[in-house]
Amino acid sequence: MADIVIPPLGEVEEVRVVRWLHEVGDEVQAGEAVAEVESQKATFVIEAPVAGRLFAILVPEGKAAAPGEVIGKIAEREGER
Amino acid sequence: MREVRWIPLGRVRFREALELQRRLHSLRRRGELPDLVLSLEHEPVITLGRSADPRHILGDPVALQASGVEVAEAERGGDVTYHGPGQLVLYPILDLRGFERSIKWYVWALEEVMLRVAADYGIRAGRLPGRPGIWVGNGKLGAVGVYVRGWVTMHGLALNVAPNLDHFRLIVPCGIHGAEATSIAALLGREVPLEEVDERARDAFARVFGARVAPADVEVVTG
Repeated sequence: MADIVIPPLGEVEEVRVVRWLHEVGDEVQAGEAVAEVESQKATFVIEAPVAGRLFAILVPEGKAAAPGEVIGKIAEREGER
Repeated sequence: MREVRWIPLGRVRFREALELQRRLHSLRRRGELPDLVLSLEHEPVITLGRSADPRHILGDPVALQASGVEVAEAERGGDVTYHGPGQLVLYPILDLRGFERSIKWYVWALEEVMLRVAADYGIRAGRLPGRPGIWVGNGKLGAVGVYVRGWVTMHGLALNVAPNLDHFRLIVPCGIHGAEATSIAALLGREVPLEEVDERARDAFARVFGARVAPADVEVVTG
């Protein structure tokens, strides 16, 4: 299982998850855009760290999250790491 | 020293500029383009950012269409914004890893460019906490709205040089009731050519971003 994490964005303490671009169960590619977060008029795209299936959304749309926080999980594809 | 290409596009429809930005953004992400800034003005358009509330568009769609104002969605952060002739729009397509890896710094830097241009005209504008953009009292002089993927930016800033301020009454600017739009021309009480402001913005950008800024054609950059 791989974590989808909000990266350090530079002195930003909190962001809001504005949009999940996939639903739980969807296949995603490594590097594919999976979510968009926003802070102070900036949209920042969160990319999938690995290929696999979106297993869980831990922070839903409209909710706040902090850099470093896990907002979702990806179940890695069999035989891949 | 960092180098940034400055590409003047003249007056462009929002959707066309958006398509160009998306193309340049993905080329920049693949490292196939240098850092660049598109400098342009838009035909009248109301755009909805990612957290836009459609109720912040005040004109009804039929009336808007009759007055020639387009409505479009954009992936930038923020609420509802108006763009139109007389507004200097800058869309920097930069890899922030070559500058500062910070969203907060980037928004600050875009505001700083606009503050320095305003100061060049003797206008004392400032920042308001929690309200990105630049302000003169309760009047919004410039707006910021950005999109960042893989630390590469698109969208950017809009500075009111001499737009039709009546058009801003079609929206609740940035979702803030009681906020009004103002412009450099309105504050100075004289005409201000956009080309002159573009030149000053280029100088301010070079200083704030610590870069050498050289004019270029979009064809030269994209090949």
